[in-house]
Amino acid sequence: MRLNLAGGLVAVVVLVALVIAYMMLFSVHQTRQAIVLSFGEPVNVVTEPGLHWKYPWHSVIHVDKRILDLENPAQEVIASDQKRLVVDAFARYRIKDVLRFYQSVGSINAANMQLSILLNSALRRVLGEATLTHVVRDERAQLMARVRDQLDTETQAFGIEVVDVRIRRADLPDENSQAVYERMKTERQREATEIREQGKQRGQEIRARADRDVTVLIADATATAERVRGEGDGERNRIFADAFGRDPEFFAFYRAMQAYEAALRSNDTRLLLRPDSEFFRFFGDPTGKARNAAPK
Amino acid sequence: MPWSNQGGGPWGSGGGRGPWGSGPQPSGSQPPDLEELLRRSQDKLRTVLPGGNLGGKGILLIALAAILIWGFSGFFQVGPNERGAVLRFGKMVRVVDPGLNYHLPYPIESVLTPPALRVNKIDIGMRVIEDRRGNTIRDVPEESLMLTGDENIVDVDFSVLWKIKLDGVVAYLFNIQQPEGTVKAVAESAMREVIGRSEIQPILTGARQNIENGVHDLMQRVLDHYGAGIEVTQVQLQKVDPPSQVIAAFRDVQAARANAEQQLNEAQTYSNTVLPQARGRVANITQAAEAYREQTVAEAKGQTSRFLQVYEEYKKAPEVTRQRLYLETMERLFSGTDKIIVDQGVSSGVVPYLPLDQLTRPQPPRPTPPTGGTR
Repeated sequence: MRLNLAGGLVAVVVLVALVIAYMMLFSVHQTRQAIVLSFGEPVNVVTEPGLHWKYPWHSVIHVDKRILDLENPAQEVIASDQKRLVVDAFARYRIKDVLRFYQSVGSINAANMQLSILLNSALRRVLGEATLTHVVRDERAQLMARVRDQLDTETQAFGIEVVDVRIRRADLPDENSQAVYERMKTERQREATEIREQGKQRGQEIRARADRDVTVLIADATATAERVRGEGDGERNRIFADAFGRDPEFFAFYRAMQAYEAALRSNDTRLLLRPDSEFFRFFGDPTGKARNAAPK
Repeated sequence: MPWSNQGGGPWGSGGGRGPWGSGPQPSGSQPPDLEELLRRSQDKLRTVLPGGNLGGKGILLIALAAILIWGFSGFFQVGPNERGAVLRFGKMVRVVDPGLNYHLPYPIESVLTPPALRVNKIDIGMRVIEDRRGNTIRDVPEESLMLTGDENIVDVDFSVLWKIKLDGVVAYLFNIQQPEGTVKAVAESAMREVIGRSEIQPILTGARQNIENGVHDLMQRVLDHYGAGIEVTQVQLQKVDPPSQVIAAFRDVQAARANAEQQLNEAQTYSNTVLPQARGRVANITQAAEAYREQTVAEAKGQTSRFLQVYEEYKKAPEVTRQRLYLETMERLFSGTDKIIVDQGVSSGVVPYLPLDQLTRPQPPRPTPPTGGTR
């Protein structure tokens, strides 16, 4: 009976201890931080994860301390050169001062709405000062950093630190995209035409060059040929002069004989002769006394 | 199987299920011998309680059993591609490797087992849809169309492979809210930033490697800045094309290049035909000239040598030879021609009136003579 009593006592003590522990202890998860409230009045902020104690009448509010997402829907922004851009940005932020955060915005949902508005206006402000090429090409990183800095300054009041703002998409609106497509198309057409014409041109050049080479080759060859022929003629003249120069008088006679024969050989020649020519010296006079001039 | 029929096993009372006996899940799994334990304790209770005097002992036994079960619920398994992060009252205390592990039971400790070695893949600009026929790829133009630095638009599909860093499990679990979504958002942003810095021609032709590296580096930098504990293993460009609206024009440029090439080849062919022909003609011309020269010289030499022969003889007897040559020539000459011999004394009156044409033409089939009668 005494044992029973003791056992019961122990059980009751343990039970009471557990209840008290439950009311006075709370754990904070690695990903969270907590505010301890005494009837709504903040009395403590816990950022270290693990087991912590409080008075039983305190209540605890847990808030995320990871890097949180803020997805911003796409919106149209007008760049400083009046070109319109559809910009879709996102931010990553962290709750740095949980007490201020709790007092100013209260919940993450409310914070997201606030941040979204601030992000939009910061984007418009910063991108509105830049030209389209700056946004797309030259200064994207700097512009994003500037938006981040501006947003960060504005959200200090909420106990929020903006870790990063990044432009996900910066595209032209649909109507402008059509214009870009048209331009791309015409550019390509221009390029294609240029390439084709250049091809033709270079083809022509090659043909012309070939024709030129042909002409030059033939001309050179003709020149050489004429020279060679001239050499031949010259050589002939030299040979003739050499040989015939030994007795010009006889050569004249000999050549004349050959010329007569060659020139007058054919059948269509008809000669009208006088009987007193040299050939007929003996025609009428066997002694050949009647002399006369050369044959006709 | 070493554990298939091994009642007891290394974990004693863990029962005959295997080395992991009790389900390894952190959330208070029960050892399989629970029922048996309960039954035994109930039996004991029955035997004890009716007696009444040993009630305290029974309660003690029940409490002991409950504590035992509670204690065993701390076993958990970490899969081969996982890491386990053990939290004590929500605070990270240690990281454990794959295998069987133990943590203090709930609510003191709990465990998270992220797939730390698995390589994850995110497709951007397209979705792979798996069905019975295999995989079909659906394009997502709002993700894949982007502006280039020279204000053109390209259609880029790419995939990102990423995994948790070797020492990044803690960061991965506790630093960022949505790792997957963050990787995707950062990837899109980085790709557009890199494409926005480039011009369309290199993007379409040769710069794939550069783009992949640029996006990879930029993503890694941003994720490290977030402390995400994520390693981007690879960025793979899948498709880089002009938008579908203008792709025909781009293909036409390719066709134009081919056409130009063709023009060039045709011209080369022409050139290669014409030039050898010309060289052939050149050979003709020069050879003909050479031949003419040789021929001329040879003829000249022949003629002179004939002349010299004759001349040698002539020198021996000039008068006679000259006479003879003359007569021989006249003989050959006159033998082949028509001859009319007119005495000078008479000729002066007659000659002009003779119809010389009609005189003794041998046998031409006389056409109608234009002038008067003849003999």
